[in-house]
Formats: sequence, C-alpha cells, structure tokens
Amino acid sequence: MIAQLRTGERQFALILSGMVALVGLAMAAVGQGDPMGAHGWIVLLFAGVVFCLLLRSLEDPEPSEDRTAVYYDDPTKVGILISLFWAVVAMGMGVWVASQLAWPDLRFDAAWSSFGRIRPVHTSGVIFGFGGNALIATSFHVMQRTSRARLAGQISPWFVLLGFNLFCIVAASGYLMGVTQSKEYAEPEWYADIWLVIVWVTYFTLYIRTLARRNEPHIYVANWYYLAFILVMAILHIVNNLAIPASFTGAKSYSAFSGVQDAMIQWWYGHNAVAFFLTAGFLGMLYYFLPKRAERPIYSYRLSILSFWGIVFFYIWVGSHHLHYTALPQWVQTLGMTFSVMLLIPSWASAGNALMTLNGAWHKVRDDAVLRFMMVAAVFYGLSTFEGSFMAVRAVNSLSHYTDWTVGHVHSGAMGWVAMIVFGSIYAVVPLLWRKETMYSWKLVEWHFWLALAGTVVYVFAMWNSGITQGLMWRTYTESGTLAYSFTDTLVAMHPYYIARAFGGALFLTGAILCAINVVMTIRRVPERVPELDHPTSSEAGEPAVPAGE
Amino acid sequence: MGKLPQINATRVNLTLRRIEIRPAAADADLEGILTVLSQIGHPATLIETADMQDAGTDIAGNALLRAMAVAGFGAMNVMLMSVSVWAGAEAPMRDVFHVLSAMIAVPVVVFSGRFFLISAWGALRGGHVNMDVPITLALILALGLSLFETLRGGEEVFFDAALTLTFFLLIGRYLDHRMRRRARSAMAGLSRLTVKNALQVCPDGQVRSVAAEDITPEMVLRIPAGERMPVDVRILRGATDLDRALVTGESLPVSAGPGAEIEAGAMNLTGPVDVIALRAMSESFVADMSRMLATAEEGRGRYVRIADRAARLYVPVIHILAAVTFVGWYFATGDWQRSAFIAISVLIVTCPCALALAVPVAHVVAAGRLMREGILLKDGSALERLAQVDHAAFDKTGTLTTDTVMLRANLPDDAVTIAVLATLAGHSAHPAATAIARGLPPATTVLHDITETPGHGVEGRLADGRAVRLGRASWVGAIASADCNGEGPAFAIEGKPMVRIPLGESLREGAEAAVSALRTCGIGCEILSGDTEGPVARIALQLGGLPYAHGLSPAGKVARLRSFEGDGQRVLMVGDGLNDTPALAAAHVSISPASATDAGRAAADFVFLGASLAAVPVALRLARRTARVVRQNFGLAIVYNCIAVPLAMAGHVTPLIAAIAMSASSVLVVANSLRLNRGGDTVAPAVRKWNPTGEVPA
Amino acid sequence: MNVLIVLIPVSLAMGIVGVAAFLWSLRAEQYEDLSGDAERILYAEDRPISSKKSEPAQRKKETPP
Repeated sequence: MIAQLRTGERQFALILSGMVALVGLAMAAVGQGDPMGAHGWIVLLFAGVVFCLLLRSLEDPEPSEDRTAVYYDDPTKVGILISLFWAVVAMGMGVWVASQLAWPDLRFDAAWSSFGRIRPVHTSGVIFGFGGNALIATSFHVMQRTSRARLAGQISPWFVLLGFNLFCIVAASGYLMGVTQSKEYAEPEWYADIWLVIVWVTYFTLYIRTLARRNEPHIYVANWYYLAFILVMAILHIVNNLAIPASFTGAKSYSAFSGVQDAMIQWWYGHNAVAFFLTAGFLGMLYYFLPKRAERPIYSYRLSILSFWGIVFFYIWVGSHHLHYTALPQWVQTLGMTFSVMLLIPSWASAGNALMTLNGAWHKVRDDAVLRFMMVAAVFYGLSTFEGSFMAVRAVNSLSHYTDWTVGHVHSGAMGWVAMIVFGSIYAVVPLLWRKETMYSWKLVEWHFWLALAGTVVYVFAMWNSGITQGLMWRTYTESGTLAYSFTDTLVAMHPYYIARAFGGALFLTGAILCAINVVMTIRRVPERVPELDHPTSSEAGEPAVPAGE
Repeated sequence: MGKLPQINATRVNLTLRRIEIRPAAADADLEGILTVLSQIGHPATLIETADMQDAGTDIAGNALLRAMAVAGFGAMNVMLMSVSVWAGAEAPMRDVFHVLSAMIAVPVVVFSGRFFLISAWGALRGGHVNMDVPITLALILALGLSLFETLRGGEEVFFDAALTLTFFLLIGRYLDHRMRRRARSAMAGLSRLTVKNALQVCPDGQVRSVAAEDITPEMVLRIPAGERMPVDVRILRGATDLDRALVTGESLPVSAGPGAEIEAGAMNLTGPVDVIALRAMSESFVADMSRMLATAEEGRGRYVRIADRAARLYVPVIHILAAVTFVGWYFATGDWQRSAFIAISVLIVTCPCALALAVPVAHVVAAGRLMREGILLKDGSALERLAQVDHAAFDKTGTLTTDTVMLRANLPDDAVTIAVLATLAGHSAHPAATAIARGLPPATTVLHDITETPGHGVEGRLADGRAVRLGRASWVGAIASADCNGEGPAFAIEGKPMVRIPLGESLREGAEAAVSALRTCGIGCEILSGDTEGPVARIALQLGGLPYAHGLSPAGKVARLRSFEGDGQRVLMVGDGLNDTPALAAAHVSISPASATDAGRAAADFVFLGASLAAVPVALRLARRTARVVRQNFGLAIVYNCIAVPLAMAGHVTPLIAAIAMSASSVLVVANSLRLNRGGDTVAPAVRKWNPTGEVPA
Repeated sequence: MNVLIVLIPVSLAMGIVGVAAFLWSLRAEQYEDLSGDAERILYAEDRPISSKKSEPAQRKKETPP
C-alpha cells in the first residue's frame, strides 16, 4: 500500500507521523501521573508504528501506472477491515457489559473493568469505531464511484482514517482509565476532541475537493447525505465539547455550560448525532448500495432529495425530547416533541423509498442474503423512527424515560438499521474492491443474517418487556400514595431480561465474528477474477446467492 | 455512443428523453449518428433547440424556486419559534421569539413575496383586480399587525401564517409557471420551412443567387432536385416529380411538366426545372399559411383557463367577506385591533393556496405521466381542452398512414419478371420505386444502361438487349406490347404486356385500435385529407368506415373545423404536415406525431414520440381523469373554505389553526393530484421503456 | 434558557448554510434529469472518466420511449 505512494508523499507522511509522535511524547512528559500521560504514550506508540512502516518501505519503487485512471481503494479496504475489527471488539464489550448487569461479579473487582468504564467503550466503539470507520470507508468508495473521479488526495485519506482511529483508541483507553466528560457519545476529553476536529476538517476538505474535481456533473444524492453527516457532526462536536481544561497537563476539563443549559446542549448534540451520524450518514450508504445490489434505480429519486432536505431541516430541534420531565422548561420540551413527530414524515419517506425500490426484486431479496440485510435495515429504520417519534411524546415518555425501553429503542436502531446496512454494504463491496469472484462462503452470510436478525429481535423484545415493566413498577402507588415497589424490587424483576439481553447481544456478536472471518477468508483464499469493467457490482454475475446443494 | 470516433462527448437525460451529442467536427454526419442510435435500439428524432422552449435556462422559474426555498427556510424557523410560544414560553422569552420571528419574516416575505406584490400592484394600476390582490393584502396586513403586536408586547402574532402562506403560494406559482412555459407560438416553426435563397436565371442567361424575399413575379428561377419551391411557380422547362405531401397531403409524388403550377413548399424530387415565379413570397402558400395560423392562434388565446375563471369568482367574494367580518366585529366589540385580527385571519385562512394549487399540481402530475408514456404536453390549458373534446379529425398522410407500400395484387407470378422489377426499382430514388423495391425480395438480375428520366421513370436493358421500363404509364407503354388501365406506376419488359403496380399506404401502428378506442369513448372520428379520393376512401374503409373529406386545402380543413365549432362541437385535430398547421392551431385541441414537420409539431398542443397512434386515446383518457381530479381539488378547496371561513369569521381561528389548516388543505390537494400517477393506461407494448440493465420490465 | 443564545444562532446559521447549499444545487442544474441520475450508478463503469473538454452542445435529439 505504501508502494502506491510517491516518494514525496511518503516523506510528507513521515513528517506528519513524526509530528504526531512528538505531540505524543510531549503529552507523555507533561502529563506524567495523569491519564494524559498514558495517552501520550499511546499516541507515541501509534504514530511510531506508522512512522516505522513508512520508513521501512521508503525506498520501495514508485508506482508506474497513471493514478488518475483508477480509483484509490486502499483506504477503503483498510477502513472496512478496521471497522470489522471494532465491530468484534466493541460488540464483545457490549456483551460483557450487558452480562455484568445480570452477573455483577463479571467485574472481577478491578477499576478498569467496572460497568461505568466499559460501557462507553462499547458505545463509542460501536458508534465511532464500527460505524464511523464504515462511514469513512464507504464514503470514500461512493464519492469516487459517483463522481467518476479519483480521491483528491493521497495522504489525506490515510490521515483521516488513521487519525480517526487514533481518536477512537484514545477514547477507549481513556474510558478504561476513568477519563470521561460524562456526556453521552461525547465522553472523550479536550485533547482528543481537538484532534478529532483536525481530522474531521481534513475529511470535509477531502470530500469537497473530490466533488469539485468530479467528471460526472451530477452529485448523486448519497453524497449529500454523507456531506450533511460530516458538516453537521463537526459543528455539533465543537459546540458540545466547548470546555476549559483544568490544566494543560491533565485530562480533566470543565464544560463551558452548566446545569440544565449544559443538558440541553448535550442532548441537542446527542440527538443530532443520532440524526446525522447514525441516520444521514448511513442513509447515504443505503441510497448507494441498495440500488446497486438490487440492480434497480431508486424508486423515486425526487423523494430521496425531498427527504434529505426534510431531515436536514426537521432534525435540528428534536433533541429536547431527551429531557422530558427534567428541569428543562416545558415549552422547550414541547418544541422537541413537536418536531420529533414531524420528523416521521421524511424518515418514512426514505424507508418507503428504499422498500419500493425493491418492488419487482423481491425474489432477489429471498435469494440474496446481502440484499436481505439491506431490506431488513430499511424496515428497522422505519420501525425505529416510528418508535422514536412515539416515545418523544411526553405522555409516552412519562412511562419510558430512564427505562430499558430507551435502550431497546437505541438498539433496534443500532442493530436493526445501522449494523445491518453496514454488513450488507460490506458484503456487497468486498468482492468488488478485492477483485474476487465471490465471497468466501455464502452460507456464512446466511448464518450471519439469521444470527443478526435473531439477536436483534431477542434483544429488542427483551428490552420492550423490561422497559415497560420498569416503567410500570416505578409508577405504581399504594393506596396510601407511596411507591409500591422499591428500586431493588425492580432490579430483581429485570434479571431474566438482562440475561436475555446479553444473549441477544451474543448472537449478534457471533454474526459479526462470522462476517470478519468471511471477509478475511475472502481476501486470502478466493481467486481473483478478471475485472468486468462494464458490470462492476452484480449479485448474480457468477455468485449464486445460496450455492446449490448446501 | 461516446465510443464512436466522430463523437466527442454525449450526455443522456432520461427524464426528458434526450441525448445531447457533441460531434467532433462541426459538419458531423447527423444521419449516420441517427442510424447508429436506431441500431442500438433507440430511434431518435432531431430537435432544434428552439423547438423546446425549456432548453434555455428558465430564469423566471429559477427565481421562483429560489424564493420558494428561502420562504420554506423562513417558515420552518419561524414555525419552530411559534411552536415554542404556543407551548407556553413565558412572556420575556415569548417577546424575544416574536422579535426574532419579525427579523426573519419581514425580509423573507419581501424577498419571496415580491412576485405577488408586483403583480397585484400592476393589476390595481390597470384598474382591475387579480388573485394576487387579496394575497398581497393578507400578507401586508398580517405582517403589519404582527409587527405592531411585537412592539406592543402582545401575545399573538401571525408571522408564521404569513410565511407559510407565501411558501405554499409560491409552490403553486412555480408549478403553474412550469406548465405555461411550454406554450408558445408555432410561427417560429413555420418560418423555418421557408426557403432562404434561390437561383435566379437572368435574362442574359447568367445564374445568380437571390434572396427569397426579393423574388418578384415573372422572375425565372432554377430549382435543382432536392430543393423546395420558394414561391408559387409555374414550370417553364424540364419535367420532374414533386413531393407535395407536405403541402396537399397527396400520398404519391406527382409528375409535372411545363405549364404545371406548383405551390411554394413543394419538394422537387428528381430533375432540375426552370420555373417562372407567379407571386412574391409574401403572397405565396407559406405566407398564406402563416396568416391563417396567426388568426387561429389568436382565437386560441381567448380560451380562459379554469383557474382564471375560479380566480375571478374568488377575489371579490373574499374581499367582501373580510370587510364584512371587520365591520361586524367592530360594531360588536369596538376593539379595532381584534376586529382587524379576525378579518385578517379570514383572509389568510381561506387559503388561496389550495385554490392556487388545485390546477397546476394536477397538470404537472399529468404532464409527468404523459411524458412517461412518450407524450409531450406543450400547454397546460391543452389538457383542459382535450378533456372537453367530443369529435376527432384525422389527417391522412403521415398521420394515419406511414410509408407507401406496395399492394401485392395483380403482380405477375413469374419470378424472373419480379426479379427484374425489383432490380430496376432498386435503382431509383423515387419514393414509388423505393416502395416497390422494399416490398420485393432482393434482386440479383443484371441490368445494363440504367437511366432515370425525370418526370417519366427509370429504364434499363436486360442481358439479351431488351429494354425494361418502370414509371409513367404513357412512357412505359412505348415499349410494352399492350397497355393496361389501372392505378399506380407501370412496368413492362420490351415486347411484353404492361403491368400496373397499385401502391397503397400502410396504416400507422395502432391506428385501428386508436380509432376504435376513441369511438368507445364517445368521440366521433373522421378523416380530413388533401389527397385524392381513392387513397382516402381506402383508408377510411380500413379503419371501419369513417366519414371522410378529400382534396381539402389547408383553408378547407380550417373551414371544416370551424363548421364543427359552429355546431357547438369541440374537435381534436390529429395531423402532421405543413398543410395541417392552420388546422392544428384552429382546432379546439391538437396532437401530432414526432415525425411531423417542424411547423406541425410546433402548432400542435401535444406531440407523441412513439410510432403508435395509441397515444391519442391514452392522452384523451388521462385528460379526462385530470379534469376530474381538478374538479375534485376545487371541491376540496371549497369544502375546506366552507368550514374554515365561518370559523374564522366567528373569531375561532388562531395563528396556529390557520397555519395547520393551510398546510393541511394544500397537502390534501397535492395528494389527490398525485393519484393521477397511478392507474390509467399506457401506450405500451408499442412503446419500449429504457432499461439499462437489459431487463424487460414486467 | 440562556443556552438558546447559543443554540438559536447556531441553528439559524446551519439553516442558512442549508438554504445556500440548496440554492447552489439549483443553479448547478443538479435536478435536470432525475431519472437519469438514479439510473446512472447502475451502468457506470468501474473506473474514472478522463475529462474531455469540448464546446457547448449544438444538437439535441429526442428518443421515443
């Protein structure tokens, strides 16, 4: 891969990684005794490894072919593999942390393995590690293919990919050390946040530059979704993470906002992160890979554009529905609630559009597990957005707030929509990228699909039950007006559901592991095919969805 | 297509079904490109960019879209502030929101609403009112009162209502603009058919070029083969065959010799002729056509669209209601502010939006549906007019019929004779000869000394020295042993009896089905043709015995259409040629195939791109469905108004309710119109749908 | 709700960026051919186009469906 770079580029990369290593060294020195110091060593190690890899291949011969005549797929390929790595690790953490709820002794009495510390490793790991890498990798793929132009940079894609993963590593290691801002999905501390801004600005610039040099005048709708994801996340991240470090030698910082004001900012961020990271970004994936795999154009292109603008304008104000029945003023809560309900329209427009695209291709959905992943993802997207709008209504929220139902909602979206569309897209794009005839095993893909679906259903049903049970128990009063159940009573009632939850997650994790194995075996074992330039992605060209006789 | 060497770049637009080709050289072989397109399964017709007026950038339309986007953005943001206030934000917060809303609303309404303001002002200055007057009134009053309330610290403001109103109205306006843009005059198309220059033979024998406008009567001109007559002429010298189909609709070329009078626009087929000009260009045939066309279009312009008729009723009624409301409340309460509020809420809630959307949305959806069936709609009002039709008139040549083919009756069974005939026919470019050659198996006989004599025919010599002739009967008779009476070109081998080859026309694809479909819908059909009786009668018979009129001049066709009008009937004219153009414009509504002449296409209200006439009943049925939907839309708008206006007059309409009601009524109208996309029939299977993956759609 | 001093301007600014982006896309004729845009990803070859600059189009043709 390094051999794909010119000498000048390798040198530039060396300088970059050297600089990062120096920063790591500085952090290690300055932050001695503080978790920041440990982070410094991690940064130094990461940058050092990159540095050494570059150094080793510095003298390799330069690429001879005309690079503008081919797409730049190395960052995409590496991004997909990293995404799968994070999937396994972070979902594993999820199973562990869910199991701790049922069996608290799984903490093994250490600080780093306590619930509060490994939980964010799971959330950040799946959202940023698994999801974020998948978005970066697929966005590189989609923007090149739809612009019919090569990525606008040689080093910047790597900077984005590796820099982003450095952020993820610093975040995860930080959590284990106890470093946290206590803001959901925004836990990493100030120096990690600054680093992410640098990486993200590079990502945005790269995207715009690639689009600017496009050879296809029309900007395909998926690019709009990706761009919205990148731009809005940048703004959200900056505003929500405005903080003053206690000192520049330590990880601790104080938020620029406080109290209920801070809560509002946090959930303005939190919900928009869901909207633009977990929804808009993955809709970009859906709008490209689903029509490609189904070999049918989007049912209504006009509708996809309309729902894009609808989502962009409706989502921003939805956040306060996380703060029903808190100190947040009533009218702000109502505002959030109103927009949450209105949001249903563009969301269902997208889900409906995706499903109508499959009209006429249902036989393919039956036979092709990859397309089935995508279809189920679209269905769960519709379900989750309905569930979300429903739960945002204050009356419903009075039952669901703080219960497991919220967790169930998150996971129906995360497992049913986000993860499934990622897996579908990965299976669709891996044979193309590595120029293989087929995936290593279609049987494994089928297994993965059913495990994922089963895991999601088990998990969500468990959480629906436990959430409603909790909610009802918490608001049951005796005749004298006191609470009928103590908190411990509710915990006891939750126990079987916690076990079911861990089990569902374990099923899902197994599926993800199968995916990782399948992809690796595909890369190593499956013979290459002669590229058919006229028909890049096809579910049926030489790839039986389910091999006969198996 | 991009792979062809003579093509630099291509771009396909699937929505408009257009391919844009940049040839490598300025004089690229267009015919060759068209052939390749047809070979890969996508036959195409050339269009001049002036044909489709939507070729250039739609400045006005883009201005409307921009205003719409800004209005939408403004409406959204003010709406969210309004929701906060309605949800119970306390007084100081509420005042902040009001100020913010004002800061957004005022510039946005001025920028986005300027179309209504300008139009209303223009109307008032001209001394009458149009739909935009109450709208502008509502906007200004709403803004004014809301600003007053904001400054006063009041509780209710109407900013969101004003913005939402602007937004929805702009949508209607934009759709309407899209529809009207397509209508334009056919004059441009006609002028392109006139010849620009001609060759003049001067008294001293010199030949020089002269501009067509400068041709005076008695001037002698030389018209080479392949050129059109620039003015009405009489042949002096030479004989040739002329294609008068465009002019008169005659199906077969006509031979003409010295002394024959020919109209401007006829195409000289086979041999050069010297002619003497009879009239100047301004008095020639084409000019006559232009004048008839202009008169016809003027008549068309008097048709008042449904939307405009509705507006005429709506405007005075709404003003009166608002005024009555104000006066009534003022007398009841003495509180002018509250009265003004309620009067404004009446103005706003009656929502011109649903009314403004009722027609354009339905038309736009219908136009899109038509486009998918390969039917181009050129004028929004045409849909309305098509729905009213109760009679249809068809031109024959080029409309009901396509190429000339050969009738196979009476051909000698002798294979050798057939082969000779085929060979001889293959050597002439005369349309009759090519029709014969097409209808026979490919020939292999060797013929020597093949020559074509303009005005007479083509001849050659067999290997054994015998002459063979194909062409005019009198000329062929010179070598035949016996004459033969009958129709069509004559053929003879020297010494043998003459044979006549009767030629007939082939019906256009879908013609029979179309005519019977129209009759089932209760539309009477007839044929109006300029051709001689024989061919016309044959076609009329083939189509199930239609009434017909033959030998009609363009003025004659127009006269026939006018007589229908006099009887109160509304006629759909289906035609293609130059001789139909005034008729296409004079009919209540018209449709022509894409293979028509420029002028024909330009004059017609609808153009169908495929080959099949099935497009005509499809368009008609869709027009009727559209008219039903428009009536339903109006019904919905009226019902809505009947509910909303009394509520508003009673003072029950708050800004919140007004905004919701407006949105709901507009959405309902749009949703109802979208039904036009489903159901209905298609022009398929004659029409093939574009599918890049090669699958045949189910 | 002091935080609205921050949130409202930020959201308005993002909204304005959104409107500007929409207006740009209108001007850049991104909505001229929605059917073609949806189909194009399906038949595009898997390599970049080398850009050939040529003069504006002189001819347009219409294909029957």
